[in-house]
Amino acid sequence: MKRVEVKLGLPVVAPLLDIIKRTVDSLGEELAVPQPLRDLDEELGSAWKNELLTEQTEDCRRFLALFDSEFFSTGMIAFDDDNAESVLRACAAIRLRLRDRELHEVSDEALEGAGVDAAKLDDAAQKTYLCYVFLATLQELIIQHLDAAILDG
Amino acid sequence: MSLFPGKTEVAPAPRSETELAHTGLWRVVVLNDPVNLMSYVVLVFRKVFGFDEGTARRHMLEVHEQGRSVVWSGLREKAEAYVYTLQQWHLTAILEPDEAR
Repeated sequence: MKRVEVKLGLPVVAPLLDIIKRTVDSLGEELAVPQPLRDLDEELGSAWKNELLTEQTEDCRRFLALFDSEFFSTGMIAFDDDNAESVLRACAAIRLRLRDRELHEVSDEALEGAGVDAAKLDDAAQKTYLCYVFLATLQELIIQHLDAAILDG
Repeated sequence: MSLFPGKTEVAPAPRSETELAHTGLWRVVVLNDPVNLMSYVVLVFRKVFGFDEGTARRHMLEVHEQGRSVVWSGLREKAEAYVYTLQQWHLTAILEPDEAR
């Protein structure tokens, strides 16, 4: 099993965990992306949403589990075949939520083109944007090193 | 498979409007969002549809540049399964009737 260990700067990342946990809490009852699907009857639509919610919650739980006591003593987190997909999806869900709830003043064009001038954001939005970029960096690391495991899994 | 193999003439059961609407071919369409990484979308397309890198990248660019891409077309039940899986990965995916066929 391939395993990727990453050492993170505790003073930088620890404050971001407050934003991440708050965002995960806000995802407890809602999907990161509302997914209306026409033509589904009420029962199937409800089951569809509930199943997606359950999976979203489990992905977020597995992601938060990376930041355990070992992380707070060493700064290390690890990805492997077993958690890579969940972490990727959780990062996507949290980034979508951050964009929707806390980065709505940033234009789509700026976000897509990485053209965000963080200095022009207020302090809270700067921290949120740093969190948004941090999660994208984790996703890039997983895709770069564990893509084969994900595609074969 | 028939439950009544010896019976040759069976009147069709009445079909609801919903059932009728679900027949025919359906398209799985992925819509653009400004958040998910291009590399992530490519990976998801490869994982879900078994696309090669080039095909996945072409669909991703179509989503990015044109706002949408038809990634699969076929029977409703399988199309629903694909939409569900794409939604698990937090892509915005919808179903459309494939009226061109």
